[in-house]
Amino acid sequence: MSERYTKQIAENEIGACLRAQLSDGDLLAIGGLFKQGRPTALVREVIKADFKDLKVSSSPGSGFDVDLLIATGCVAETYCPAVTLEERMCPSFRHAVEEGRIRAHCVDALSVVGGYLASANGVPFQPVAAWKGSDVPKHNPLVAHITCPFTGETLFATRALRPKLALIHAQEGDVYGNLRHLSTMTYADQMIARASDFVIASVDRIVAPDDILSRPRETSVPNIYVDAIVELPYAAHPSGSFPHYSIDEAYIDAYADLAEAARKGAPEGLRMFLEQDVSGCASQRDYLSRLPDTRLPALEEEARNL
Amino acid sequence: MSDYSIQELQAVLLSRELKNGELGAAGAAAAIPMAAILLARLTHAPDLQIAGEMFVNPNPTQLWPSMLDDRALGACEAAETFLELFGHSHRGLDFFFHNGLQIDAHGNINLHHIGGTLHEPKMRGPGAANISYAGQSKRFYICPTVHSRRNFVERVDFITSPGYLDGPESFAAAGMNGGPHLCVSPLAVLDFDPDTLRMRIHSVHPHSSVEEVVENTGFELGANRNVHMSKPPTRDELRLLREIVDPRGYLR
Repeated sequence: MSERYTKQIAENEIGACLRAQLSDGDLLAIGGLFKQGRPTALVREVIKADFKDLKVSSSPGSGFDVDLLIATGCVAETYCPAVTLEERMCPSFRHAVEEGRIRAHCVDALSVVGGYLASANGVPFQPVAAWKGSDVPKHNPLVAHITCPFTGETLFATRALRPKLALIHAQEGDVYGNLRHLSTMTYADQMIARASDFVIASVDRIVAPDDILSRPRETSVPNIYVDAIVELPYAAHPSGSFPHYSIDEAYIDAYADLAEAARKGAPEGLRMFLEQDVSGCASQRDYLSRLPDTRLPALEEEARNL
Repeated sequence: MSDYSIQELQAVLLSRELKNGELGAAGAAAAIPMAAILLARLTHAPDLQIAGEMFVNPNPTQLWPSMLDDRALGACEAAETFLELFGHSHRGLDFFFHNGLQIDAHGNINLHHIGGTLHEPKMRGPGAANISYAGQSKRFYICPTVHSRRNFVERVDFITSPGYLDGPESFAAAGMNGGPHLCVSPLAVLDFDPDTLRMRIHSVHPHSSVEEVVENTGFELGANRNVHMSKPPTRDELRLLREIVDPRGYLR
């Protein structure tokens, strides 16, 4: 009898998997939202693989990892409604747009989520009724006017978004690629997984298939939408992976200080950080070993005490 | 200075606006709006419903820099996904909150760029996740944390979330309803003249003055003969805010 195919890959296979699925100039989708549930370890692998001219989309809110991809020169275009660290702006995003190095398409939440929905449903567009008065739809490359075939009413259409590759993060999964988010929120991860050609998921831990079978309603993304799964410790860091570890605001802030200095004409600190702490990390263990000893236990404790 | 902070005052003033039984939401970096909602539930609106894009009726135990992650929303009555964006956006909410890089005389909000053009900006802002609530909510509140001539401008450089556009005619021509109800700034509460739909002073905060508001606003404020002083937090409001909503003193 033959064995069921396992989708689990090892950490040292991620680079080859990325290069097999993604080419320069392709659309890459990133799961999570702002500073939570972001597949940041996988994003660092994209940076190490030295992709160029990528188009990047995500859920409606992006921050640190998209800024990092821009800082390392991987990105040509963004389809991200908001790119912000929330309490402060994303310096590399801002810098690159102001210097004309990247094209930040003027999209909003409904156009991007509608785009994933259309792609997941196998239709060319999703009708939208909700935009009036804003300048965003006027400049939004995903949006066109349509006429309702039943009522003649004028509506908007938002074009299907079909990422070549999606990277998402969940707390748990099995070797067959079934994912289980333990976080309360799951953002647009389920839609992004259904909308994309190929999906790589990082998880905090691989659980036994029997464990997935015992609670099927909790499987957030079934394995039919996941092509590769990799177990990596703290794979979302510095974003939070609730309820396992909270958001490393200090790490993100330290990066933002360096990127802001670069924006203002002093790029050396950012260059060192990117070379040593992003591209220069041989492994996830190596990356984590550079954090202060108390950092990860503190993030775990914060998540536990919420 | 009084025994409450400016942000605490803004949260209290906004909380009094929210009515029992209404359905509303706040955004991401939304400590003041979320404090207002939670305080309103404790004072006069126990049946106030909160349904943002991914969650229903969260129960945060403190305020956080972001009110859109599991730190704040991990405990809630229902966890949904961004698919609900369509449901909420199409049905609309009773109220929502906005902030912007620029806010103009008609309550339009800009989060995209200042100066230049969208793709050749002098300064690029973060953009906005969700613009549909501006047009689909019955009303929204503007709650900036700065009130200066730099962010209160005659006309925004880009309309991210629409207010009253260029006034009553353009607002009607765009087929819009709702619109900004009040702007609760660090200096004053501003409302909109029903005839021109331009901002005017509704009340001035106890620590400020009409002169200071005028001096720090980059457009001519509509005339209002009935300007009064914003009513400071009561002892009870401040106690509930500090003991239950914001025990870590994020707004202080």
